[in-house]
Amino acid sequence: MAESSGSVNIAEVRAEWIGVEFDWAEFIIDKDAMIQWASACGETDERFIDPSHSDFQAHPSFTTHCMSGRLFPKNFPQIGGGFGIDGGKTVTAHLPIRAGSKLTAVTTIADIFDKTGRSGTMVFIVQRMEFKDETGALVSTVDWKMIKKA
Amino acid sequence: MILDLHTHSIKSDDGRAKVENYCKWIRKKEIPLDGFVLTEHRQYDSESDYRALEDEYNLLILKASEVETDYGHVLVFGVNEDLLHSFDFANIRLPIQTVLNASKENGAFAAPCHPGRKRVGLFSHYARSGPIADVHTVEVFNGGSIPGEDQLSVEQAAIYGYRGFGGSDSHVVSRIGYCATKFERDTITTVEDLVEELQSGSFSPISLKPEPKNTSIET
Repeated sequence: MAESSGSVNIAEVRAEWIGVEFDWAEFIIDKDAMIQWASACGETDERFIDPSHSDFQAHPSFTTHCMSGRLFPKNFPQIGGGFGIDGGKTVTAHLPIRAGSKLTAVTTIADIFDKTGRSGTMVFIVQRMEFKDETGALVSTVDWKMIKKA
Repeated sequence: MILDLHTHSIKSDDGRAKVENYCKWIRKKEIPLDGFVLTEHRQYDSESDYRALEDEYNLLILKASEVETDYGHVLVFGVNEDLLHSFDFANIRLPIQTVLNASKENGAFAAPCHPGRKRVGLFSHYARSGPIADVHTVEVFNGGSIPGEDQLSVEQAAIYGYRGFGGSDSHVVSRIGYCATKFERDTITTVEDLVEELQSGSFSPISLKPEPKNTSIET
């Protein structure tokens, strides 16, 4: 890992912040919202759009719109300027999410790294939300990359 | 023997291609590659074992690395344990001299890639800071280049007397083989063979980019 990106020492930021939990939230999974989301994704599989289906469940990408209350932990160092840009989300679906479920989500900083490219040096901050159901089973993990100019 | 010397799989943070899907694509599209080298960003993937895929698809799959230096990105072929302990592959500000020296000392082969990129390529750094004596080979054909960049690479490589090779720099399946390297030797089977052939200089860059579709409308 690079010693520094701009005025911020990335190695130090990694050591201090990776794995830090900084947000906790609950989400009640609404049937209509599940259908709306799946339909907006262009999904045609009845498991995701027909509540009468025996295996009706949320679309695998459903949790990507469940936002945490904070972008970064309190006192997280300022890297570059502004809020940066959205670098996309990666979803891992572990178990089906059913209508009416109450999910609890814990948000952590999963990774921080820098890289060089055509646009110069950029810092990538990966925020991870892990969703668990009422039994404590992990049902979904969403990694959200935020890209900031170093 | 034709090898794509510059590819990325999902092991790279920005790679979207699974290695098996590269293999399937090469065979389905009848791309004349005999194999490819995975050059993951800022790391060396010492875990993955692609021998089963090599056998199934009759392709050579080798592993290397793309590191980032003060003179741009550099491909390192023949990464070994000693080299892995010579410098931090994740450091994006490696001195290029460190990479070149360590590679040479540990039997690896280091060569700058996409040197013609504006502002960030090797030759832009040359224009600002002067040439590096120990560079001998560069990637003159890169599948991710925008118009003019490869031409600059070829011209500048000729000026400095560098040998040139090609690689697709593919991050998605459909880009593999856009550029590649043709070796005179037909029996490269290991990364040691590859390093030997790169050191020998018996190769040339080739472009296999598909012809752009004719979109003109007759009136």
